[in-house]
Amino acid sequence: MTDAVKPPKKPRGKARLLENKCIACGARCQSACPVDAIQMNDAGEPIIDASRCIGCVKCVKVCPVQAIEMAFTPEELRILQELAASSAGAELSEEDAEEAALKKKLAAYSGVWVFVEQTEGEAAKVSWELLGKGKELAQARKCPLCAVVMGEGVEKLCDQAFGYGAEKVYLMDAPVLRHYRTEAYQKSLCALVEKYKPEVILMGATGLGRDLAGVVATVLATGLTADCTGLSIDDKGNLMQTRPAFGGNIMATIVCDKFRPQMSTVRPHVMPMPEFDPQAKGEIVREPVPVVEDQVLVKVLDILMDGGGSKVDIAGAEFIVSGGRGMMAKENFAMLQELADVLGGVVGASRSAVDAGWMPPDRQVGQTGKTVRPKVYIACGISGAIQHLVGMQDSDVVIAINRDAEAPIFEVASYGIVGDLFKIIPALTNKLRALKAARSKA
Amino acid sequence: MLVVVCVKQVPDTTQVQIDPVTNTLIREGVPFIVNPYDTHAVEEALRFKDRFGCRVAAISMGPPNAEATLRKALAQGVDRAVLLSDRSFGGADTLATSKVLAAAIEKLAKEEEVGVVICGKQTIDGDTAQVGPGIATRLNFSQLTLVDRVDELDLSGKKIRVSRKLEGRHEHVEAPLPVLLTVVRELNRPRYPTVAMRLESADAQVEVWDNKVLQLDVNGIGLKGSPTWVSRIFSPERAKGEMLGDGAHDPEGAAQLLIDKMLEKDLLAL
Amino acid sequence: MMPQTAIFTTLLVASLLFFCWSVYRRFSLLCYGQPEERLDQPARRLAEMFLYAFAQLRVLRKPFGLNHFVIFWSFMILALANGEFLVNGVFPSVSLALLPEGVHRALLLAFDAVSLLTLFAIAFSFIRRLVVKPPHLDSLYVKGRSPEAFLILSFIALLMLAYFGLHGSLIALGMEDPSAMPVSSLVGSWLSSHPDLIPALRNVSWWLHAFVLFAFICFLPHSKHMHILTAIPNCYFGALAWPATQPREKFEKGAVYGVGTVERFTWKDLFDSFTCTECGRCQAACPATITGKALNPRQIVHAIKTNLLENGDALREGRSGTLPLIGAEGEGTNTEDAIWSCTTCGACMEACPVLIEQMPKIVKMRRHLVETESRFPEELLNLFENMEQRSNPWGIAPGERAKWVSTLPVKPFVAGETEYLLYVGCAGSFDSRAKQVTVALATVLNAAGISWGILGKDEKCCGDSLRRLGNEYLFEKMALENVELFRQRGVTKVITLCPHCLTTLKNDYRQYGLELEVVHQSELIADLIRSGRIKLDKKDDSLGKIAYHDPCYLGRHNDIFEAPRTLVQAATGVAPVETERHGRNSFCCGAGGGRMWMEEFTGERVNHARVDELLAQKPDTICVACPYCMTMMEDGLKDKGAGQVRVRDVVEVLAEGLLRKNA
Ligand SMILES: Cc1cc2nc3c(=O)[nH]c(=O)nc-3n(C[C@H](O)[C@H](O)[C@H](O)COP(=O)(O)OP(=O)(O)OC[C@H]3O[C@@H](n4cnc5c(N)ncnc54)[C@H](O)[C@@H]3O)c2cc1C
Ligand SMILES: Cc1cc2nc3c(=O)[nH]c(=O)nc-3n(C[C@H](O)[C@H](O)[C@H](O)COP(=O)(O)OP(=O)(O)OC[C@H]3O[C@@H](n4cnc5c(N)ncnc54)[C@H](O)[C@@H]3O)c2cc1C
Ligand code: SF4
Ligand code: SF4
Ligand code: SF4
Ligand code: SF4
Repeated sequence: MTDAVKPPKKPRGKARLLENKCIACGARCQSACPVDAIQMNDAGEPIIDASRCIGCVKCVKVCPVQAIEMAFTPEELRILQELAASSAGAELSEEDAEEAALKKKLAAYSGVWVFVEQTEGEAAKVSWELLGKGKELAQARKCPLCAVVMGEGVEKLCDQAFGYGAEKVYLMDAPVLRHYRTEAYQKSLCALVEKYKPEVILMGATGLGRDLAGVVATVLATGLTADCTGLSIDDKGNLMQTRPAFGGNIMATIVCDKFRPQMSTVRPHVMPMPEFDPQAKGEIVREPVPVVEDQVLVKVLDILMDGGGSKVDIAGAEFIVSGGRGMMAKENFAMLQELADVLGGVVGASRSAVDAGWMPPDRQVGQTGKTVRPKVYIACGISGAIQHLVGMQDSDVVIAINRDAEAPIFEVASYGIVGDLFKIIPALTNKLRALKAARSKA
Repeated sequence: MLVVVCVKQVPDTTQVQIDPVTNTLIREGVPFIVNPYDTHAVEEALRFKDRFGCRVAAISMGPPNAEATLRKALAQGVDRAVLLSDRSFGGADTLATSKVLAAAIEKLAKEEEVGVVICGKQTIDGDTAQVGPGIATRLNFSQLTLVDRVDELDLSGKKIRVSRKLEGRHEHVEAPLPVLLTVVRELNRPRYPTVAMRLESADAQVEVWDNKVLQLDVNGIGLKGSPTWVSRIFSPERAKGEMLGDGAHDPEGAAQLLIDKMLEKDLLAL
Repeated sequence: MMPQTAIFTTLLVASLLFFCWSVYRRFSLLCYGQPEERLDQPARRLAEMFLYAFAQLRVLRKPFGLNHFVIFWSFMILALANGEFLVNGVFPSVSLALLPEGVHRALLLAFDAVSLLTLFAIAFSFIRRLVVKPPHLDSLYVKGRSPEAFLILSFIALLMLAYFGLHGSLIALGMEDPSAMPVSSLVGSWLSSHPDLIPALRNVSWWLHAFVLFAFICFLPHSKHMHILTAIPNCYFGALAWPATQPREKFEKGAVYGVGTVERFTWKDLFDSFTCTECGRCQAACPATITGKALNPRQIVHAIKTNLLENGDALREGRSGTLPLIGAEGEGTNTEDAIWSCTTCGACMEACPVLIEQMPKIVKMRRHLVETESRFPEELLNLFENMEQRSNPWGIAPGERAKWVSTLPVKPFVAGETEYLLYVGCAGSFDSRAKQVTVALATVLNAAGISWGILGKDEKCCGDSLRRLGNEYLFEKMALENVELFRQRGVTKVITLCPHCLTTLKNDYRQYGLELEVVHQSELIADLIRSGRIKLDKKDDSLGKIAYHDPCYLGRHNDIFEAPRTLVQAATGVAPVETERHGRNSFCCGAGGGRMWMEEFTGERVNHARVDELLAQKPDTICVACPYCMTMMEDGLKDKGAGQVRVRDVVEVLAEGLLRKNA
C-alpha cells in the first residue's frame, strides 16, 4: 500500500439560525444540543455559540421549521466538494442495534382502532367519520380496522360500526360504563390496548374524546396528537398527524415514531362521512370490563341537553346567526331563529337590534355585549361597526349578508353575499332543510 | 389545604400574522401573555381562597422570562409562585410537560396537602388540552375537564360538584377530592389586580425550581421524554373575503353558492 | 350703661361667639384634607377673584344672575350699614354721622336705594322659587322650596323692612335728615300721619333689625349661605388652568390611591363643598343628570359636605367615619353608578358661578374604585386588558395600525426629514368610519404641502380613557412609554385627529416633562386657510344645511371653537348653524370620560338627547371634529330614524371641497 494519505476529515460546519424562521417552538434546539452551544433569548429564539458547536446537526434535525442550517467556511466547502468528488456515496446505511430494537418493539403493534363515542346509546357522528379515514390508514398499513364500543346496552352500535367499515369490534358492555367517567373508561381502554396492541388509535376531538385520550396516552406513556385535521401514513409506516396550532395560524405535522400506539384526536366534521353499508358484517370481540362500580368514585348526577328551556348562551355557541338594524322589525328575527335551528345554533344581535327591543340584551355581541368565538358567525343586516366587530372577529368563519357592498362587515367576512337578506335567508334556510332531510334519509 | 393552578406563558397568537409573500409566521412584536384560559383558572382558585381560606400556589413550566406570567398571578392574589425552568425541560410535548408539572405538585404536596389542581381547558399556542388530563393521571386525582361552573366544594366531606360543558349538553358531576379541574372561559370573570397588589407582586419572590430540585430522570422529560415531535410546520390556506354570487339579482343562486362553500369547507353540522 | 345696650351687647357677643365656634368647627375640618398648592401666583389669583367673585362674571351668564348680582352688591354696601348698626348698638356714641357730612349723606343715599333694590330682588327670588320653580333648583336632598331657602330670603327682606321702619321713624321724629334718604322719608312722611305708632315702630324695627342680624350671624355657617363667606376665597383659590387633566399619583408600596373616604379629598375639594350655593347650574348643564342618570354634580359636592360634617367628630378623634363616601344611595354618600356616569365633559365646571371643580372629584373617586377596590363596570375589564396587552381599546393586533395607509403613499415619521408627526390615534387607525377621516386629513395635508409622517405600528393609544376612568396606574405606564417613544424619535410637532389625543398629548404628557407643540387638525388647517396655503374657489353646497357639534375635549377643554367652523365656512361658503347649546356651553355626545366603552343602561341615551338638539335646527349634515362624536352622532341619528342626515368630520368637508376644486 502506498502512503496512507490521510483523507481530510469531513468538515461538520457550525449551526446557524436563519432569519425570521424560528417560531419559538419551546427550545427544542437547545434541548437537543449535546454541548450547551445554544442559549435562548427572551423572544424564545436560539443564540448559537459557534465556538462551542461541534456540528452534530441535532438541532437542525429537531427544528420543526428548518430554522437552523449548517454553515461552512469557504475552505470547508472546498474540502466538502473534494470529498464528494473522490468518494461518491461511500456512506453505508448501517442499522445500529438501537434502531433494530426499536423496529422490533414497534412491530409488536398492529391494527387501526377507532374509539366509538356514545352518549345515552347514541354514537357521535365523528366516530363514523373516523372509521372512514381509518379504513384508508388500515389499507396503507395492510392491517385490520377495528372499532371499540363501550357502554351499557350498546351492542347495536357494533352493527353500525360494521356498516361504516369496521372489520372487528371490541365490545365492553357493563352498567359501570353507562355514563362516561374518565376512570372507568380509561381502565377499560388501557386493558384492551395492552392486550391487543393496536398501532393507531383515533378518537373524536370532542369534550369526551379529549378527556379520555389524554389520560390513556399518559398511562400508556405514548404520544398523542390533538385535534387533527389531516392523517396519513409516511413511507416509514408512521402516522403523519396534521393539526392546526397557534390559534389556527399554523399547521403542524406531528409524528410519534418511537412509541406505539400512535394516538390522535380528530376534529369533527373534517373527515368525510363514509358510505353506510347495512349488509356489512364483522367479528365482535366481547371483553370483560376490568372495573367495578365501587372503584369509580366519580358520579354523574344528571345530563342536561342544551337549548330546551335553559337560557341561551351565545358566548359558548358554535353557530351564531346575528341580526342587526337591517332586520327592520322584531318579527323578522323568527326568520333568523329558523336558520339557526337548522344549523344547530343560536341567534345573536347587534346593539341596534337590542336597543330597538328586537332581542334581549344578553344576545348583544360586541364591545359592550358578549365576545363570541363560534365556528360560524352569520351577520345579517349588520354594517360591521368596530364596536360590533370586536365581539365576533375571532370567529373561525364569518359570513356576511348585507345589501350594501361597501359595508365594513365585508372586510372581516370570509364569505359575503351582497343582497336583500329577506330573500337570501329564507332561500338559505329552505335549501339547508332540504339538504338535511336528504341526508337523514340516506 | 393548597390549591395549585397551572399557568402557561404563550405568545399572543391572535396577533400572529402570516407574511403573505413568504407564507411564514411573523412573530416580530408579538408579546407573550398569560394563556387566557389560565386566568380563569387562577380566578377560580382565588375564589376558593376567598371562601375557604385555602392557600393558592401557581406553577408554570417555561423559560426564565415566564416569570412575568407568575407575577401576574401574584398580583391577582396567589400566595406562592413557582417557575419550573431548566434546559432539560425544553422541547417537551404534553407527556413530558405533565410529568414535570405533576412532579412539582407532588413536591408542593409534601409541605401542604393539595386538594385541588386547576388548569385551563387548553392553551392558545399548543392548543392540545392534554396537559390537564396528563397531570391528573400521574397524580391519580379525579379528573373533571371543561368545567363551566363549580356548584359546591365540600372540604370536610372531601368532594366537589361541578357542571361540565360538553357538545350540546351539560353534565353535572360529583367527584371526590383531590381533584384536577380544567376550566373554560364561561366559568368566571377574572379579577383585575389592584395597584397595591401589583406593586406587592413586583418584588414578591418567584421560586425557581430546576431539575436539581425535582430530580427527574432526564430521559423522561423535555425533548428526550417526548414521544411526539413536530416534523413540519406550514401555513394554512385561508379564506378571507370571498364574495359569493349576485345576491341582489339571484338570491337563490347566492344561497346555493354559500351552501356549496360551507360543504366544501366542512362547516355544516347537519 | 343703658339696659338696651347691655342686652344688645350680650346678644351680639353670644352670636359672634356662636358664629366663631361654628365656623371653627367647620373650617377646622379642612385640616383633615390632603395638601394642595393653591396659593401660587397671587396676582393672577386676585384678578380671578375680582372677575368671578366681585364682578360675578359667571353669575351674570344666566339671566337671573342679575338678581344675584344686585343682592351681592347690596350686601357689600349694606355690610357698612350693618356694621355701623352693630357698633352703634354697643357704643351708642359711635356712628357714621362722625364722618364728613357729604360722605355720610352719600352713604345714606346709597343704603336707602340699595335696600329698596334688594327688596325687589328678594321679591323676584320668592316669585322664582314659588311660581317659576326652575327644576334645577331641586336636587334629591336640597329642594328649591326648602324652609332654609325661604328663611334666608325672609331674613334679608326683614332686614330691609326693619331698616326702612327704623329710619322712617327717625325721620318722622326729626332725628334724621330726610333729604338723603328718599325711601325712608316716604315711610317717615306716612308715619307723620300716625304719630302714636312712631316710638313703637322705632323700637320694634331696631330690635327686629338686631335680632335678624344675630340670627343671620348664627345661622350663616350652618346653611348653604356659608358661600357668603367662602365664595370669595374660593374664587381666589380656584384652579388657574382649566382642569382638563388630572394630577399624577405616586405609585409606591403602602400608598393610597384616589379618594375612598372624605378626608382623602384635598382641602380645596372640601372647601369647594362648603362653597356650593346649591344654585343647580351644574345640574342643569350636566348631560348625565339631564338624561336621567344617577349622577348629579351638585349632589356630588353636597355629598362631600354632608359626609365631612357627619364624619367630622370621628375624624377629630382619629377614627375613620361611619358614613361611607361611596356606597348605597343616601345623603352624604355617592353611588358607584353616579361616579361611572360622568362623561368628564366639564359642563358642570363651566357652569359653576363659584368655580367649584366637580368633575375632578369624580375622577378621584374613580381612581379609588379602580385602583384600590378593583370595582368597575364589567365592560371596562376588556378595555383595561386590551390597553395593557395591545395598546388600543379594542384589542386589535397592533400590527394592523397602519392598515389605513394602503390607499395612499404615507411616509414614516423621521426627525429632521418630516416636520409633523401625524398621531392618528386608535379610532383613526381601526374604526372603519374614522379611517375615512384619516384619509381625508392625509389628503388635505398633502394638498397643502405639509411635511408629515406617522409612527405606524409603533404608535400606541394615548391613554385618555384610562386616565378619565381613574386607571392612573395603567395610564402612567402607557404615558411613560409614549413619552419615551416621542423623545427617541425626536418628535416635537404633532397633529392629532382626535381631541382626546390632543388633550392628552398636550395637557397630560406635560406632567411627564414632555413639551410638544400639539395641534388639532382643524387648527392647523384653519391656519393654512388663513395663510392662503389652502384655497377653495368652488363652494360646495352638496352637504346642504350644516350644524356643528362642539366636541367637549376640543371646545370646552381646549378652547378650540373657531377653527372647525372656519373649515366648514371655507368649504361651503356659509358658517354652520348653531344649536342652542354650543361653544363653551356645548352638550356632550356621551362618549367622553371613558363612557365610550361602557353600556348606557339608565335614562335616555346622551347621544339621543344631543341628536335631538341638533335635529331641532333641521340640518342636512351634522359636522363633528372627533371620532367618538362621529360614532355617537351616527348611531343617534340611526336610532332616531334620521339616517338621511349625514355626519361628517370637518376635515372631510374640506377634503371634499378640495376634490371638487381639482375636478
Ligand atoms: C358605547 C357604545 C357601545 C357599543 N357597543 C356595541 C356592541 O356591543 N355591539 C354592537 O353591535 N354595537 C355596539 N355599538 C353600536 C355600534 O356603534 C353600531 O351602531 C351598531 O353596531 C350598528 O348596528 P347595525 O350594524 O345593526 O346597524 P346599522 O349600522 O344601521 O347597519 C344596518 C345594516 O343593515 C343593512 N341592511 C338594511 N336592510 C337590509 C336588507 N334588507 N338586506 C340586507 N342588508 C340590509 C344595511 O346596509 C346596513 O349595513 C356601540 C356603540 C357605542 C357608542
Ligand atoms: C405547533 C405545535 C404543535 C404541538 N402539538 C402537540 C401535540 O399534538 N401533542 C403533544 O403532546 N404536544 C404537542 N405540542 C407540544 C405542546 O404544545 C407542549 O407540550 C406544551 O408544553 C403543552 O401543551 P399545550 O400548550 O397544548 O397545553 P394544553 O394541554 O392545551 O394546556 C392545558 C393546561 O395545562 C396547563 N399547562 C400547559 N402547559 C403548561 C406549562 N408549561 N406550565 C404550566 N401549566 C401548563 C395550563 O393550565 C393549560 O391551560 C405541540 C407544540 C407545538 C409548537
Ligand atoms: S449542531 Fe449540534 S453542537 Fe452545534 S448547536 Fe446544533 S446541536 Fe449544538
Ligand atoms: S427548534 Fe427551531 S423553532 Fe424551535 S426554538 Fe429552535 S430554532 Fe426556533
Ligand atoms: S363633567 Fe359633565 S357629565 Fe361629569 S358631572 Fe360634570 S357635567 Fe356631568
Ligand atoms: S357646584 Fe357650583 S354650579 Fe353646582 S350647585 Fe354648587 S354652586 Fe351651583
